[in-house]
Order: sequence, then structure tokens, then C-alpha cells
Amino acid sequence: MIAKILRIFRRDALVATRDSMLILIIAMPIALAVGILLFAPGITDSSVRIGLLKDDGAEHIAFMENYAQVELFGSVQELERRVNKRDEIAGMVFMDPGYEIIVQGDEDPGLLNYAKFLNSLFTLGITREDATAQMLSFEKTVPPLKTKLVNMLILMMIMLAGMIISLGIVEEKADNTINAINVTPVSQNGFIVGKSLLGVVSTLGSIVVSLLILGYRDIDWLMILLVGLTSMMLTFIVGFLQGLGSDDVIAAAAGVKMTMLPIAGSIAGYELLAERWQWTMYWSPFYWAYKANDLILSKRADWPTVLVCVGLVLGISMLIFIMAMPKIRKGLS
Amino acid sequence: MKMLSTYRKEMKIAMRGFYFYIEIFIAVVMLLILLVAIKENPDSKQREYVFYDARPEVVELLFAKYIDEGKIVPAADTEIVMKPASFAVKNRDTGSTVSYSFDSAKTIMARTMREIDVDDGRIKKTIFLLDTEEDVLRLSHSSGQVGAIVSLGDRGTFSYRYILQGYETERLTNLLYVYNARSVDVLEQEMDRQAVRELGSTERLNARESAVPALITFAGSLMGFFIVMSYLFLDKDQGVIRALAVTPATVWMYLLSKTMVIMTTVLISSSIVVIPVMGLKPNYLLFYPFLLATTFAFAAIGLLVASFFDSMSKSFGVLYLLMIAFMLPGFSYFIGSFDPVWLRFFPTYPILYVFKMIMLGKPDVPYVLTASAGFLVGGLAVLAIANEKFKKTLTV
Repeated sequence: MIAKILRIFRRDALVATRDSMLILIIAMPIALAVGILLFAPGITDSSVRIGLLKDDGAEHIAFMENYAQVELFGSVQELERRVNKRDEIAGMVFMDPGYEIIVQGDEDPGLLNYAKFLNSLFTLGITREDATAQMLSFEKTVPPLKTKLVNMLILMMIMLAGMIISLGIVEEKADNTINAINVTPVSQNGFIVGKSLLGVVSTLGSIVVSLLILGYRDIDWLMILLVGLTSMMLTFIVGFLQGLGSDDVIAAAAGVKMTMLPIAGSIAGYELLAERWQWTMYWSPFYWAYKANDLILSKRADWPTVLVCVGLVLGISMLIFIMAMPKIRKGLS
Repeated sequence: MKMLSTYRKEMKIAMRGFYFYIEIFIAVVMLLILLVAIKENPDSKQREYVFYDARPEVVELLFAKYIDEGKIVPAADTEIVMKPASFAVKNRDTGSTVSYSFDSAKTIMARTMREIDVDDGRIKKTIFLLDTEEDVLRLSHSSGQVGAIVSLGDRGTFSYRYILQGYETERLTNLLYVYNARSVDVLEQEMDRQAVRELGSTERLNARESAVPALITFAGSLMGFFIVMSYLFLDKDQGVIRALAVTPATVWMYLLSKTMVIMTTVLISSSIVVIPVMGLKPNYLLFYPFLLATTFAFAAIGLLVASFFDSMSKSFGVLYLLMIAFMLPGFSYFIGSFDPVWLRFFPTYPILYVFKMIMLGKPDVPYVLTASAGFLVGGLAVLAIANEKFKKTLTV
């Protein structure tokens, strides 16, 4: 049985190499990981922007640079043009006796308050030297936004594997090779496992490589692989269902869009919903996978919590599998 | 005329299929999410853990003023469970490091306060007043949220120790140093004296409305790119493309009719989301031409990409990569201060900006019309290239 499954795996790997699919599955997440690596520092440095004139006092410019990203402009008109652009930046121009703050008007109120606060500090002559505060630090190095992006990348990789299974099956149906399986000694379960193996191996490999590229070397690898493996199970079931249920690529594409909905919804729910509304997302296995990954990547995970999350992903996946089994069998027949 | 009948035929086929209704269904789901799950002014999830090393009367006095002003609202005590944990804390000012290890879980009832935005009544942050310094450290470490230990000095002044996670920018740390260097009253008085000049409209989209431009850009316009490819490969699989050779319709008409089907679908699905959420606020006379022009442009890009491949799975890599690249401006849209120059070269960047402008109801009309014309002309140019490629390959 195992030999037959491995034969399907080898055949799929061979076919995938021929049409560059394997390269895509592996290279795409790694390319995205490199993208996040280059992209994340820009996002994490997203402090407030202040626009000043080049001929503003050196003391004022140096003061503002301590607390905000400062951009310098040659004239008030130039500064106003910059303030009017799409992103959020507050300008400050000296108008005797003090500074005037220039904003577009539709910014987040926080920006104007921040600019007012900084200007007040400057007017009152408050500097860091006056401060009596002390900073205690856990010396964590990974910002939460990077963790969120990486977590989304992991779910995206898992979803990609499901999509590829779905499209692969649709094409096998178009080529009539699915029917051919029924006259081989491979059982239907063997075919399902064999067909999924390529996705499992390549996706887990991509997850590991991407995490290494992104600098997550000291996380609990066993936990992350366990979550990856269990959430992948669900995607494969969905991938099979979509693939077998779709007669053509347009139906498979529609299915892909449908799968994106609970995944995107789970991420948005976890990140945006208030604590008291989190229960509304408990039905989604992707919610539990995202939560578990979030805890693991931010090194806040403990085994009991991860096992509960994994158990729920597994339980919901199995439930869907049992419900979907007759349809999968019918599709394969 | 021939064009119209080709479009009608394509539309009939699309309406017989599964995809058209999925698109409508997803639009309805998105609408329900917007109306039910996203509040117009959502409360912030920010939490702050504070320990006041001072007599309870002093703490009461400190909060009484803000409670009277309506800036702070006391809430019911919150039960918080702390898990076993071990970590080290470095004092950045003295350089000393202290290690902590907590072997057992601990449950506490924390006094809870909510900081309220007096303008719109939303919760800005939730403050938990804790009984010990260790509790603040434990909770700040496990949650990644802000922590502070406030001590009352001999001369009646407070001194602050802030708890950083470690990844905060230097600018934020500098700000925390001076944050409480003067009393809040002095700072507020000075802030009120600041002269402010607004250059434009002060109207803003609320949280629910803000999601609309992103949804119609990514689930509307951009989706045309993905779906037109699927339609094309479906026709290839079914041999419709070959049948085209024996009809009077040209390849150009065929491609244009496909994009028109996508435009019709996006028009319907976007209207389902926009009209109930935005009502009469947007300028629809500008919205629909811009929506159609951008959808057309992306569908044309989809056709061009499809012309390089002969199956959906082979084109999948390029499709996936382009879709993700086109979605990157979404970060800039939602994170106002993140706006690198390179992001402005992505077509979805101006699309988000123009949709937002239209939703606000006071768009820069010449700019929106120029942008619509730009996408239309660009789309036509890309479609012309795709047409030439398809004509050469014959098999489409």
C-alpha cells in the first residue's frame, strides 16, 4: 500500500516538475518570505511623519527627529503639496510667535494630537534630559506585525496547496486519468493520500524554509509543524471536494474564492473582533490554526493551548472529511 | 451588433454557470460582514497594565478627575488568568537585568478602567490596575501589551517605569521618556493653544466605510484579472476557442465580450456592497465609470497573462504572484503612515485612493476622470497586445 502511495507521489512530483508546478509551490512562498523580509522593516518603522521647512531652526528639526520621521521642504507651497498627498503627514511652519500645524483635515485625529503634543513639548522646552522615566524591556526582537504577516503567509501556503490539488484534479478529470485510477490496484484512500503527499511535503518544506529566512529559528518547531500538518488536512479535504465537485476550471476558481472567505474571515476575526465577540469565529478551523501560529511565532505558546487548537482543527477537519467522504468517493468513481 | 450578440451569448453562458452566483453570494456575505461585524467606530483592543506604588486614596484622586470629565469610565473588575512563565527584564537605563520565573498559574481580579474618546464615545484603551509589579511584568510579557509601574516619590511627584517589549522604535521610546515630564494639565493647556490650519475637507470615512474601497478594489476590480483567465482556459478545455474560428466573430470581439461579462459581474457585486453601506454619499456618476475602467484594465492584464500559457495550472504561479503584488498597496491604505514611493507604481494604489475619494462624496472630478481614462486607454493597449498574441497563436 505504502509503495503504491509513494508511486503516486513520485508520479505527481514528476508531472509537477514537468510543468514547473513543484517549483511554483516551493519557490512562491520563499519569494514571499523574502518579500516580507524586505517589506517588514518599512512597516514597523511606521511612526508619525512631520514635514518641516529646510530653513526651519536646526534645534526644532533635531527635536522633531527624536520623535517622528521628518521630511524637509524648500517652501511652504511644497510642504502643503506634500500634506495634501494620500498618506498622513502633518506640516509645521513657523508663524510668529509660534509654529502653525498644517494638516489635510481628513487624517486620523491621532496624527494631529501627536503633532500638537510634540510642538507643546518643544514650546515648553521639555527634552529627554528632563525625563525621570525609566525603560524596562523584555528585549524581544520580532515586531508583532511581522509575526502577523508570517502567520498569513503560512495560511496562504496551506491554501495554495489546497488550490493546486483542486486544479490538479480538475485537469485529471479533463484528461480522464481519474477514471483510469479505478482500474489500477490503488485503493481510493491510497489515491487520496498519494495525491496529497506532494502538497504536504512541499508545503511543510516551504514553511520551514520561509521561517528560517525570516529569522524564526528559535521557535518550537514541533508545534509549528503539528499545526501546519493538521490545518493542511482540512485544506486538502476542501481541495479534493472542490476538485472533484468542479467540472471545469471556472468552477474550481469559484471554489478557490469560496475557500478564501473563511480564511480571510478567520484572520480578520482574530485580529479585529473584540474579546467578547471572538466566540463567533470558533467554528472556523482556520481561526484556531491562526491563533496557534500566532502564539507559537510570538513565543507565547504552551503545549496545552496548542494541543487544544490542534485538536479543534483536527476535530472540525475530521467532521468535514466524514461528511464529505461519500462525495469524494462518488467523485472518484 | 455582432459584438452585442457575442456579449449576450457570453452573459447567458455565465449566468448558467456556478461562478456568477458565487460572486453575488460573496458580495452578499461581504455586505453582511460590513453591516454586522464592523462597527462604524470600533473600540480599540489596546490594553494597558498598570501598578500604582501609592496609597489607594492617591490612586482614587488621580482617576476621579478623569472620571468626572468623562474621559475614563470604570468597568466591572476583570478576571485575568496568568500562566506559568519565565523571562528576563532589562532596565535600559541602569543596564541591569533581572530574571523572573513563575512556576504556577495565578488568577486575579483586576480593577478595570476604560479610556473613552469624548468625541465619539468609543473605547480608546482598557486599563487594568494591578496589585503588584510582578503581575504587570507577567501580563505585559504574555500579552505583548503596554505596561507601566508608577511610583509616588517623596515630593509628591510620580515616577514612571514603562515596560517595553523590545522591538519598539527609538522614536517611540524617546516619546515615552518625555510623556510624563510635565503634568497633563500643563500639556493639555499648551496643546489647546496650538494653531492648526486645515487644507481641505475634514470629512473622514468611518471604519465600516473605510473597508469599502479596499473590498471593491480587491474583490471587485482585481478579481476580473483572475476570473477572465479562468473563463478563457475553460473555453480552451471545452474547445470553444476552435469553434470560434468558424464563426463571423473575431478574436478581438471574443476577448472584449469576455471582459464585458467580467465588468457586468463586478458592476452587480460591487453595487451590492456599496449602495447599502454608503447610501447616497458617493458620487455614483464617477464611481461606475471608474469601476468599469479599472475592471476592464485588470481583465485585459489577465488576458495578456493568459496568452503566455496553455492551462490554468501553468499560469497559476504568475497569476498568484501578480495578485499578491497588486494587493500590497492595501498595507499603505490601512496603515496611513506607511507609504513608500515604490508602492505608488502599483496600479491598485491609485485605484484605492480614487475609490476612497469617490466614497467621501467630494472627489477631485478632473483627477477621477483622468484616472478613469488612463485605465481605459491602458486596458485597451494591453488588450490590443493580447489580441495580437492570440491571433498569432491561433489556438488562443
